[in-house]
Amino acid sequence: MMRSNVSPWPGIALALALLVGPGQGRGQEAPPDTGAAPVLRYEIWVELDADAKTLRGREDIVWTNRTAEPVADMVFHLYWNAFKNEASTFLRESLSETMFSRGASPRDGEWGWIDVTSVRLAEGHDLTPTMVFLSPDEPANPDDRTVLRVVFPEPVQPGESARLHLDFQSRIPRTVARSGYYRNSFFIAQWFPKPGVYEEGRGWNAHEYHQNSEFFADFADFVVHITIPRDFVIGSSGKETAVRVDEAAGTTTYTYRQSMVHDFAWTAGDRYLKVERDFIAEDEVTAEEYERTAELLGLSLEEVRLPNVRMILLIAPEHRGQIDRHFRALRAAIKYYGLWYGPYPYETVTMVDPPFRTGSGGMEYPTLFTAGTRVLPSKGALSPESVIVHEFGHGYWYGLVATNEFEEAWLDEGFNTYSTGRVLAVAYGPGALPVSWNGIPLDGLLRMPRIYDFELNRAAAINVAELDPVTAWSWKFYNSASYGANVYMRAATLLETLERLLGERTWARIMRAYHMRNRYRHPRTEDFIAVVNELSGSDMTWFFEELLTATHDFDYGVASISSVEKPRHVRGVFEVDGKKVEMTDERIRELGRAAAEDPQAAAPKEYLTTVVLRRFGEARIRGQGRVEVAVRFEDGSVETRSWDGQARWARLEFIKPVRVEWAKVDPRGIWLIDSNLANNSRGTDGLRKNVVRLMLRFFNNVQCALQALSGWS
Amino acid sequence: MSVMRSIGTGLSGTLHKGKLLVYLWALNVAFTLAVAVPFLALIQKELGHSLLGSSIRVFDIPWLAEMAFKYGEALPAMAAGLGIGALLYVLFHIYLNGGILGRLLDREGPVTLAAFLSDAGRYAGRFFRLFLASLLFYAVVFGGLLSLVSAGFRPWMEGARTEWPVVILSNVRLLIALLLLSIVHMVFDYARIVIVADQDRRALHALRLALGFLRKRFFRAWSLYLLVVVIFLAGMALNLFVAGRLAGAPSTAALVLAAVWTQVMVVYRIWVKVLFFSAQSEFYRMHPY
Repeated sequence: MMRSNVSPWPGIALALALLVGPGQGRGQEAPPDTGAAPVLRYEIWVELDADAKTLRGREDIVWTNRTAEPVADMVFHLYWNAFKNEASTFLRESLSETMFSRGASPRDGEWGWIDVTSVRLAEGHDLTPTMVFLSPDEPANPDDRTVLRVVFPEPVQPGESARLHLDFQSRIPRTVARSGYYRNSFFIAQWFPKPGVYEEGRGWNAHEYHQNSEFFADFADFVVHITIPRDFVIGSSGKETAVRVDEAAGTTTYTYRQSMVHDFAWTAGDRYLKVERDFIAEDEVTAEEYERTAELLGLSLEEVRLPNVRMILLIAPEHRGQIDRHFRALRAAIKYYGLWYGPYPYETVTMVDPPFRTGSGGMEYPTLFTAGTRVLPSKGALSPESVIVHEFGHGYWYGLVATNEFEEAWLDEGFNTYSTGRVLAVAYGPGALPVSWNGIPLDGLLRMPRIYDFELNRAAAINVAELDPVTAWSWKFYNSASYGANVYMRAATLLETLERLLGERTWARIMRAYHMRNRYRHPRTEDFIAVVNELSGSDMTWFFEELLTATHDFDYGVASISSVEKPRHVRGVFEVDGKKVEMTDERIRELGRAAAEDPQAAAPKEYLTTVVLRRFGEARIRGQGRVEVAVRFEDGSVETRSWDGQARWARLEFIKPVRVEWAKVDPRGIWLIDSNLANNSRGTDGLRKNVVRLMLRFFNNVQCALQALSGWS
Repeated sequence: MSVMRSIGTGLSGTLHKGKLLVYLWALNVAFTLAVAVPFLALIQKELGHSLLGSSIRVFDIPWLAEMAFKYGEALPAMAAGLGIGALLYVLFHIYLNGGILGRLLDREGPVTLAAFLSDAGRYAGRFFRLFLASLLFYAVVFGGLLSLVSAGFRPWMEGARTEWPVVILSNVRLLIALLLLSIVHMVFDYARIVIVADQDRRALHALRLALGFLRKRFFRAWSLYLLVVVIFLAGMALNLFVAGRLAGAPSTAALVLAAVWTQVMVVYRIWVKVLFFSAQSEFYRMHPY
């Protein structure tokens, strides 16, 4: 039964029911009732010195050993040390990157770092002398300072907790990789000493900060006290629960709390406008939509009902005119992610229009994300909508289903890119390709085509199929372009292909089940494959082997089609009424003449149609999959055949009284991942109007370009 | 007013010398064919028999991505081919400019292919030397003057609190660049006119004379130049309007009409180029030393 697939936790259905209605039954901390206690608890006190661009902080951690093995040490991420010098792994990789670099090296005087000045156990034991930096990844980089290890005096036994006090001081970088400042605007992410994830049998999973990777951490309960200048506006993960003003110091201390999240980011600045609105579920989702969703997913209406959510927007004053546009996109995201994958479980979501030149746009953190827009936004292109939907969506794929972004980035980026495209398609339809010059949008003037995300994703996906497997570890991709195109676009295209292959209902249930079963967990690729196999009722492992973990191009096509008149008679000796009769050239000519004189008496014409199929790519359809082929004839009849697609080619033959018109593989358009859709079909007629139009336009563009160049002569 | 009279006379000059447009258009078509045929053949090969041809768009990202994947390794060679074609066309037009000006300034003379090519050959060497000199001017403008403009803007842009100053100053810089470009272009137009009108055999001497000519009446000459630019932009705006309507129409008639319209616009572009020469020649003729 589908319902049993939704959640293995007894408490979850009750928890979802409790979330119905505007803030019903919610306490100050808004803890999602997960039925499980988090591994970590944080209480952090941090003070921003806006003039000196520094943070001073204190952090209390309670870490519980939930494994069956004793743990002798603890490993922390100190991400900001990636911006300390050019010897860090991050900047080494960034500086050697030939394609897209995520963070250029800081300029003189703008480096950032974090120093842990002391680590003590709650009972007083000083762990500071045991601090040592690790370089866990290959190739080793002993100069990297982003992974720190401390050793316990006694191993922490299974079920026991370690309580630590840390003091730290940080220099805020002038924005690298979405953390930093510009003038009096600060975006503070990956800023506190954060333990890795202890995995039974594998030890601490804590990688260095790489140029092509994001993050991985355990779920935790956070209480964070942030002290900032009094005239600053703040936005943060979690819910504000207390405000204390210190008139003498000219500061304000805000307390934020949030349960069951694995990261915590905040922003503060003197230019933000803060706008708050509510996502009111009953205004956004109709009864029909609930019914259709429940029916599609095989769930009850209560299980698909959405809660209300407090939406907080921090936006630059010059973008004031785009406030409605931001909220509309966020409402669409909350609605569709909620309906398809599961209700948003937190009370608040904070959307930050990134401060100018903080480079912090387009990034996700639990219950907070950054969008990004321009002072002159395009009307036709879905920007900032696309980034808003995408970054909110990461609250699901990364936030709630907390996959390891270092090792399996496709599980969050790919899933979320796919989901973003779906939401945008439903809420907005295709968007215009954004084109701008010097900040002025030109897509309207140039009549740029409108295009769906899945088409754009495929365009990138097919070009990197043979470069890296989608499942490569983030920093082991050929370059940043391959990383991006594989884990975002190729992964999304594979999911879209799988959706078409398995059908809407099965697919919707797979995605819902995979999400809900793995909320507040760290699933891996095999967990997703297991859900696919279970709910599709067939072993689809081959799909992932061929297209996800291998570097195979997928390309089936029609190599040729032809129809030739089948001769009525052929030479040789034939048995006729028990006698051997020889058919000679002369006899055949006689019969031909007779047929010409009396066409009615002659046998009807027949044509032998031959369709040759090719497997141009390495990837093969396996399992129960087949290559479908449709062949249409001059009388309008269509014959459909299938091919197992294992060999490099196949020849199909048809004998019909008419000639072939066209043949097409994959007539239902399932295999979006196919790298060449042009060769999927072949017709016998001449150039089509659109091709002539394309050729004329190309010719004319060359003409005009040459004529423009003549101005330089 | 000499500017308007120059435009008027220049306009009528281009109409009287309409054959020039025919020659230049035919040469443009022939050259374009040489450059574009391999690409057209490629389109025909890829889409000629595919059903995708029925739905292909003029700017079809998915299909272009397929082509990039299939022919990615050949892209540098293709780009080089286009680049060489473009360079040859520029050189070819240095040669043709002599023919255009020669025929325009020979007011009573006929426009025959022989006369056109004869003029082209006569001035080709001097025009090529002018072209080389113009590269130096462009380098000074873009390497020097615009760098100064950028340096002047930099403190405002780097210290900006919002995106607005960056957008505004970037576009102001672009406008300045275009205006500077128009000035260099105009100077070399007059240098060519001096060579043909005065039969000056020394390219650099002609350039010096042109500079002297413009020094005395710079703003009137420049306003004439910019007026022709406005005429060009008006045509482009009309093209945007008409071509946009024809582009989406599915009928064969619309396709034929679109093909004809694109050629009309190519002729229009050529006509504007001739008008630049014609109007500025008239302006030069009206202001003898």
